[in-house]
Amino acid sequence: MSNQQLAATTTSRTLALAEIVSVALSCLIAEWVFLSFLSRYRWLVIVPLLLAVAFMVLSQSAYGESARDLGFRSDNLVQTLRLLIWPTLIAVIIIFVVGWYLTGPPSLPRLLRPRLLVVPAWALFQQYALQGFINRRAQVAFGKGVVSVLLVAVVFAVLHLPNPVLSILTLLGGLIWAAVYQREANLFALAASHTVASISLAIALPLNVINGLRVGFKYFG
Amino acid sequence: MTKARLVNFLIGKSILETVLVSAIAVGFYINAFPPYFHGWGEATSSGIAGWAVNDNAPLDRVTVQLFVDGKFVATQTANLSRPDVAVAGWAKDEWHGYQFSLSKFTVGTHEARIYALHESGGSTRQTLQLLGDPINFATDAAGVITDLSTSPTPHR
Repeated sequence: MSNQQLAATTTSRTLALAEIVSVALSCLIAEWVFLSFLSRYRWLVIVPLLLAVAFMVLSQSAYGESARDLGFRSDNLVQTLRLLIWPTLIAVIIIFVVGWYLTGPPSLPRLLRPRLLVVPAWALFQQYALQGFINRRAQVAFGKGVVSVLLVAVVFAVLHLPNPVLSILTLLGGLIWAAVYQREANLFALAASHTVASISLAIALPLNVINGLRVGFKYFG
Repeated sequence: MTKARLVNFLIGKSILETVLVSAIAVGFYINAFPPYFHGWGEATSSGIAGWAVNDNAPLDRVTVQLFVDGKFVATQTANLSRPDVAVAGWAKDEWHGYQFSLSKFTVGTHEARIYALHESGGSTRQTLQLLGDPINFATDAAGVITDLSTSPTPHR
């Protein structure tokens, strides 16, 4: 590798890592600052989120990535679902067994919460940010493989701090989803898996164990 | 969009976020710890007495809390008569005094601190602000309290 190539690679890697840090920081600012300290104006949380989304869109434009490249596609939906079905099923069984052991069967009111209706859209957005952006930039920095998969999972877990149960679960989920994305990039299938796992968590595990799925400063109160 | 412009946007985004977080930090601090409480306290022969005023709402009565040696002792509303406070221009009326009785402290020296209790965030958040300086006092075997503080004048 020539010096020029080495310099270009280093620059690309540095930029990709800076992009990951920037988007992760926007999310952390939203969680730890806007949602926690702006009680009456918490809707302003949209500001760091919009900044992050605008940055991701501009970045994808700069890298020449199409929606199909990111994983908004249907041709590999079945293959991706096949990769995800067993890990998702195993996770759901474990979640329900643990929940049953801790509090008994899930109650009907928890199954019927209207809030659960937004989970699919929220899951798709999270997978877009996590895989369609962070995973792809991690691959720019480190290539496909263990390091980039681990980086994605760690970022996902950090965004769920200081909730210990969510951080551990998102680390594990992040590892699986990032690895699957590197084999088959399909965000709809990942969002489906994410939705099933999230709803299972919300209805099966006791609220005190997951602390109402709270993250950031809200976790404490 | 080129990568060079992306870097510019990245820097701009970072600066904007820094400004936003700084503004929120300053705003939160002013909201949670507003600079308009002042007051003063001293050890009397039977306890801790003083006054507390909220400059932002001069006719409101401030809730004060007493801590001795770092431990919470009592809370009360500062609404006792203190004509001297109004005469000195610290308050618009005289009803800003407080008086905590102390009776169960061990013989020796202690430190009392009086805090103004402030609610913010739609009453979801409570913060304490120290009024004046810490008050050093001694109790003897008869339960008599002696003020050891050297500061005779009111403080913000």
